[in-house]
Formats: sequence, C-alpha cells, structure tokens
Amino acid sequence: MEQKNTLTEPVKYDLSFAREIYSLENGYYIKQCMQCGMCAVACSTREIMDYSPRQLFNLIKLGKKEEVLSANTFWYCTSCCTCKARCPRGVPLVDVMHDLKKYAIEQGYDQYPQAAFYKAFWAEVAGRGKVFEGGVTARYYLIRGLDEVKKALAMKDVGMNMLKHKRLPLLPPKKVRGLGDLKKIIHKAQELQRKEARA
Amino acid sequence: MKYCFYPGCSMEATAQANLKSIKAVAEALGMHLEEIPDWNCCGATVVSSVVGDFTQQVMAARNLAIAESMGLDVVVGCSSCYLSLAITNKRFKEDEHFRAVANEALAAGGLKYEGSLRVRQFLEVVINDAGLEKVAQMVKRPLDGLKVAGYVGCQTVRAIPYEFDDPEYPVFMDRLIEALGAAATEFPMKARCCGSSNALAATDIVVDSSRKIFASAAEGGAQVIATPCPMCQMNLDAYQQRVNQLHGTNYYIPVLFFTQLMAIAFDLSTDAWALDYCIVSPYNVLAPFTGGK
Repeated sequence: MEQKNTLTEPVKYDLSFAREIYSLENGYYIKQCMQCGMCAVACSTREIMDYSPRQLFNLIKLGKKEEVLSANTFWYCTSCCTCKARCPRGVPLVDVMHDLKKYAIEQGYDQYPQAAFYKAFWAEVAGRGKVFEGGVTARYYLIRGLDEVKKALAMKDVGMNMLKHKRLPLLPPKKVRGLGDLKKIIHKAQELQRKEARA
Repeated sequence: MKYCFYPGCSMEATAQANLKSIKAVAEALGMHLEEIPDWNCCGATVVSSVVGDFTQQVMAARNLAIAESMGLDVVVGCSSCYLSLAITNKRFKEDEHFRAVANEALAAGGLKYEGSLRVRQFLEVVINDAGLEKVAQMVKRPLDGLKVAGYVGCQTVRAIPYEFDDPEYPVFMDRLIEALGAAATEFPMKARCCGSSNALAATDIVVDSSRKIFASAAEGGAQVIATPCPMCQMNLDAYQQRVNQLHGTNYYIPVLFFTQLMAIAFDLSTDAWALDYCIVSPYNVLAPFTGGK
C-alpha cells in the first residue's frame, strides 16, 4: 500500500546557523530552552511580534536563518526583563535578544527603525561619552531618510510640549573629559571581545 | 551617610525634575551624594545591541572604577542606568574570568575595578538606609487623601530579581507613598513595561503599552502616578495626550517622580518640587498640598 504523509528521507537540519548563534555572547543559553512558553506569556509586546521568543529559539535550532534574522521579535523586545525574571531555565532572554540585534545588524538585517535608533544612540555615546537626545534624533533621521521625517512631523506636538517644559535642551552636554581614555578602553574591550569569541 | 551618585544622561536633559528632587530629598534625609567625577553613559539597554555585552559592561565599569577609588557605594536614580551598572557590578563580583579580561580593557585607560562596591537604586536606599519611619517623621505636608499609583516599571525590580523588592509584586514604592500620608492605589500594571526607548523608532509601542498602564491606574482611582524611572516618566507624561487622541480616552493623570512627591511632603523648596517640568499639569490635583508656595 502506498504510504502517505511520510517522508522517505530523514529530515536534515542545517546546524551551522544554530552553532553560529550559540557562539554569540549569551547564545549558548538558547540550548537550555525547553520550549515551555513562559517568555511568550510574560512578554509585553508579544502581540505584535512575528514569533514569540520561544518560537524564535525553535527556529534557531531548526537552522531557519532567513526567518530568524528577518523577524521583528528581537527589535520589538523592550528589555523589560519580565521573561528573563520568569524563565524557569534561567535563560537571560533580554541579553540573548541584544546579541541577536547585534548579529542582525552585522548581517545587514537592519531594516527595522529600531536598528537606526540603536546605531544613532551608539554614535552619540562613542563621540561624546554621553547621550544627547537632540543628537540621537538628528542621527536617527539621517539614517532613516525623508519619509520618516514626515512621520515625525505628525508627532511635533509631543516635541513642542517637551520643549515648553524644558525637557529638551537644545545644546548637548559637555563631552566626557576623559573621552580619550574612554575611547581607548572601548577599543581595547572590542579587541578582547573578538579574541574571547574565538577562544 | 555618604554615597557616590551616578545621575545618568537623562537627568541632565529630559529628567531634570528627577535630579533636582533626588538631590534635595537626599540632603533632607542626611544622605550626602557625591557625584562620580566625569562619569560617562552606562549604555542603557541599547549599546550592547551594537557593540556587545562585554564592551558595554566595560564602558559602564569605568564609572564603577572611579567610584571605587572614592570608596563609596554607588547610588543610581535612573532604572536603566541602575540595570546596566548593577548587572555589570554583579559580573565583576561573581565572574573571575570576566573581571580579569574587563580589567585588561580598563587598564587601557589607566583604571581598575575590583568589584568591591554595591550598586543601589535610590528608592531602595531611601527605604533601607533612611527608613520609612524617618521618612514619615520628615513629612510636614502630609499628602492626605491623595491617591497615588506607584508605577515601579520594569527594570527597577527586574534588573536583579529579589535584590531588594519582589520582581512580580513590588511593594517598596507603595510603602513609601503611604509613609508620605498618601494612599497607594490598587495597580496591577505597576511593574509592566511602558514601551521603553521605542518613542522615536516605534511610537506605537509606547502608546499601546502606556495606554494599558493608564487604564490600570485609572481603574484603581489614581489621581497621580509616581515612578522612579526617567524613561517611564517621559513616556507616560509626554505621550498621554497622544494616547487620548488615538484611543478616544480622556486620561488626565499627572506623572511625577516619587522624589517630587517626597519633596512636597517634606516641604522643601519649590525648586526641588520641580513641577514645571511636568507636561500633564499636576498643579490642580496637588493644590491641597502645595498651598502657600
């Protein structure tokens, strides 16, 4: 009799993507996930995510690189730490999400507006040692382009209220005096981080 | 009582009301806050997504290294700075390998951190070091009858769960509100997320998250919301009108730092009350307590 709904070949998993993700700073914790779904019910933005963290971890294990890196899951994570505090297996989900954001940016999957915000924020810190909202905003719109500026104009009442209540200084704070040393520290940290990742 | 104080970037800009009220309240409680000289950004929950956890933590540790040379524990007001500095500090204390490698990086700037300090949230310091009895004694303008929703937010109690309060059902804020003579309202959403740093990139997330928090606060009958977190304060204050426009609601709940309520109750200067910084005006609802100034 002809067999239906059965595979003639065993399913082959491509583990290379999973291995790459496991090698990220907090990536190895993903292996501890037992697919219970506590993160999904804890998540404050689950409703608008393509995949819950649980589903995302499963896709990683299955080697679904494109699905994982195109997902909005980690970009919509607000780092509220509810899942991290509740995970029965002690997976620091927030830190894993940060790793995934970094990895996605490196792989060119930076189409989400949050990626532009993160880059703008880092550019401020790297150049000044502190964050200046005006600088972050300007850099963000430079990355995102004109369309986004139009969206911003719809929000101008929020900005005007902030200005009116002295909440948006127009001038940046003074640069950190030890900025030169801070840059040396960051440079060395990056070097060591790469070395540790290979170890 | 002497401490190192880490203000963080937002206290110089969007959250000046937090800085003014914290400084005044601390002084009134006999705490001396010594600002960490030449502190730098902690990286919040943003920088690690660009440069990695390790680099962010080393960057945050520059502040701890400077504080360690002063020999004083670090007090932080901002929840996101607290999370970043407290987690970094914990790693320095517990992970020997990390400490060695991180110190190799710090050495490039002539610094070293042994991990000898505690990193503490100002809310926790007020309750554990000054104590609620002292707080109650300091009250000159009791906030009698004021219904306050104590919005703890997410990172204050979940940066390091059980470090000082329950991550699921925090109570410190409510006890403090009560010590000021006010009533802490039922507020099931008191530790839910406000949408965090998405205001610029994904405003919808902030609007939608905040909407749920307003609904919960309103259901408990809150007249004001009090929070320790600059991010929560800004999202709930600056986007409240937007929530009303988009969802046809009619919320009018002023959002203050808990330290502003303390400054009023302690009858400190109006500069410490810093009420002008509030976008949703608190003047009417606080009128019974602010008279004569």
